[in-house]
Amino acid sequence: MTTPAAINAALKGDNALPLRPINQVMNLERLGAMHQSRLSFMRTLVRRIMRERWQIEPARFELDAQGYGTVIYEIKAPHGLFSFVLFSSYLASEDRNDRVIATQWDLTMALVDGQVDEIYLEKLRQNVPKQEAGRVDSRVFVLSRANRSARNFDYVVNQLAKGEQPDVAKIAQVGYLYRTTAVYGSGKLGMADWEKVSTRYPDFARPFAAEMFVCLMLRNFSLLQVEHIAKHKSPDSFLPMQPKVKRFFGIGNSTGLGMAPYLINHPILINQWVEMRELALARIRVLGGIDQHICEQFKELMGRCYVHTAETVTEDEWQTGNNQQVLLDMDALKARVAVPFNSWDELLRWSEEHCSLQGQEMIISMMLELYPELVDDLEDYHTAEEFLDLDPLMPVQQLKEIIEQRYNWALAIDFNADGARETFWYRSEEKMEPRLGGTELEEGRKKQMALGVGYAVRKCYDQLCEYIAAYPEHTTARFMVARPKLRGIVRRIQTMNKCVYGDIQANLLDRNVLPMHLLRAKLAFFGVGKFDPRSRLWVRNTMFQGAPLLEDIGKPFNDDWFMPLAPTLDEPSLNASKSEAPAQ
Amino acid sequence: MHVSMIELKAALRRCFEASGYFVGNYEDAANMILWLEKHGLNGLGELERAISFIQQDADKSLSTVIYEDNTSAIIDSHGRSALNCIAASVDLAHAKALECGIATVTVHNCHNRMFVLKALTDCGRRGISAAAYWQNGSKVVSEHTVAIKAGDRYPSYSEAITNLAATAGEKQALTIICSSRVDLTTSLQQSKGNFNSRYISALQVAINKEYSVDHGIDIDETLWAQINKIGEGILVENTERSRMGAGGS
Repeated sequence: MTTPAAINAALKGDNALPLRPINQVMNLERLGAMHQSRLSFMRTLVRRIMRERWQIEPARFELDAQGYGTVIYEIKAPHGLFSFVLFSSYLASEDRNDRVIATQWDLTMALVDGQVDEIYLEKLRQNVPKQEAGRVDSRVFVLSRANRSARNFDYVVNQLAKGEQPDVAKIAQVGYLYRTTAVYGSGKLGMADWEKVSTRYPDFARPFAAEMFVCLMLRNFSLLQVEHIAKHKSPDSFLPMQPKVKRFFGIGNSTGLGMAPYLINHPILINQWVEMRELALARIRVLGGIDQHICEQFKELMGRCYVHTAETVTEDEWQTGNNQQVLLDMDALKARVAVPFNSWDELLRWSEEHCSLQGQEMIISMMLELYPELVDDLEDYHTAEEFLDLDPLMPVQQLKEIIEQRYNWALAIDFNADGARETFWYRSEEKMEPRLGGTELEEGRKKQMALGVGYAVRKCYDQLCEYIAAYPEHTTARFMVARPKLRGIVRRIQTMNKCVYGDIQANLLDRNVLPMHLLRAKLAFFGVGKFDPRSRLWVRNTMFQGAPLLEDIGKPFNDDWFMPLAPTLDEPSLNASKSEAPAQ
Repeated sequence: MHVSMIELKAALRRCFEASGYFVGNYEDAANMILWLEKHGLNGLGELERAISFIQQDADKSLSTVIYEDNTSAIIDSHGRSALNCIAASVDLAHAKALECGIATVTVHNCHNRMFVLKALTDCGRRGISAAAYWQNGSKVVSEHTVAIKAGDRYPSYSEAITNLAATAGEKQALTIICSSRVDLTTSLQQSKGNFNSRYISALQVAINKEYSVDHGIDIDETLWAQINKIGEGILVENTERSRMGAGGS
């Protein structure tokens, strides 16, 4: 077991491990090239559930033949009992909309502390289906909604009703029955604050653990629901889905710009996630032994990543190009490791010279898979106290030097160049949805969000240099009394200087900024796969594909659902029998 | 009306951002109010008294240092609310205390001084003991003091109604003491003429916080609407063109 002191010693000081350089890791394009790994939050959540054998059973199952109604699952986790409450309603296809601004959904859900009685259920029924237009109390700690996949849902129901399995090739194209369009936690709409969740509910005291859990439960419900509808549709011919086909269903997700400001507004937390991933990599570079068994495992993972990438379907030209390049990278890697290699450092250096960013980051995720003993204990260190504190005693001269060292990337940007400040981020009157503006919406510019960290650093630096010329002996506290408008950026600079990795290095005001990279970085930490950009501003993806099913809890589990592949169907004679249909 | 702490904080941030507060200041202001309310010290009541004036501060001069030596400073806040200037004054006391062991900063012409509690608590968390004293009121004068020990997370707070006569100099003044060497504790003297005195221990402040963490915060609907109304000032009008900027279908 590791400790905070051990982690600190590995990150900083004379016994630190060889971490990748800051300018390399915090480059936005590289962050946007990351993939899921065994430190991703979905993986850590599933490990916990499986290891602790959570008991999850439907306590109320009131669905009609079309699958509409109310379901409550009760979850017995080591530290508490929770209820996952679902409301399934009819939604006309023309009303189905993935945007934040939608007002109706096929499914709405809540994760609630304790058992839900009739009175409380009614209260939830009055509010949960309304989502942003409703209010809940602090017993609720996640609220979400989801829409059926137009391409898959009815198809799968019909297949099962006919007694046939869904075509796996079709599922490989769209690997889900529902797509969640928002997952709210951390105090929104009257829910429990993160401070409550993290201190009162140890089962969910990791970032986004409760939100990920709701998505996992949605995935399991979606499988239960299609079987339920199919069974009622044609009781005589119905056959349940084979478990390995079920496992290949994940849950879809649409993520838009709303996630991007989070990464800029929580720099300490994002740094913490990056530090843990990079520390895992550094441990492997130094301590990860390479023997025949590891080489074989690595080759197996290489093949799996190749097929997984080949099975990823996207209409987006840019992402298709990236995926094609990853396939070429995997080919090149295969040729490279055909020749024995002695250290991971050697392979990493090779990848930096021969592979795309997405290929390089794929190799890192593969390396992490090989050494659970060096990686998994870091999952307990993904939280951070988010205080952006001012260091009032710091001499202004030292503050200037820090900017020159840690924000050299910002000082290198010419903010007067054409397009360097063209983009701005703002909140719309419509549900406060974050949006991007440019020259076409100049009237919104004065209301822009403060996400241009690089530009703020530049302005701070220029004013600081002037101030130092007049008052070279002053402290930061004195500078702050004189220049209170700089308070926000100065304390950010000072705080992030104490972090190993610090701020994301990008000019978010640039005309050509790709918010997609921000979205993808956060989604990779979550653990999603099958990125399918729908524009430069939003992306569809798949969560929990390949993860164990509820019925797998308590059975042997080798935590090997990284980069899942399309399964091969059992022969018809070996199909699951009707007796294997889930309890309802 | 019931809201979570983060909802209150987000609404307050929007409110202060729309009121012309700077980046860094609007977070401070939101945190100062939330901190008081969360710890049972009536932050929303304080806000209710201040909210009609917060937009006026944009037209006032920035704070100026009118006297300074190694261990002390006097700052004129030119009638600003503590919400947008007191954190910098506490930082200055903090820095001087780190250099000299103990320091005093006196702030003049500063409104809503109750909000200093959050800034002083941050000092305690960061290993600096801090205390403050101020008087308030033009007809009936109340007095207030707060203190936190180095390394602590919660301060103690005392207040009392006095029979003192208001003086022009004392009305909007606040004295801050910080020390990196001495643990400061304060309580009001049982002076003749003090009545309705109240002492809230650090332990009670901590207990109040636990209640808010469990249950969230109750807020008067009118005040909540007022905060949100001001906050609408940062939202951009919805148009078909702006919808394109969300990238959706």
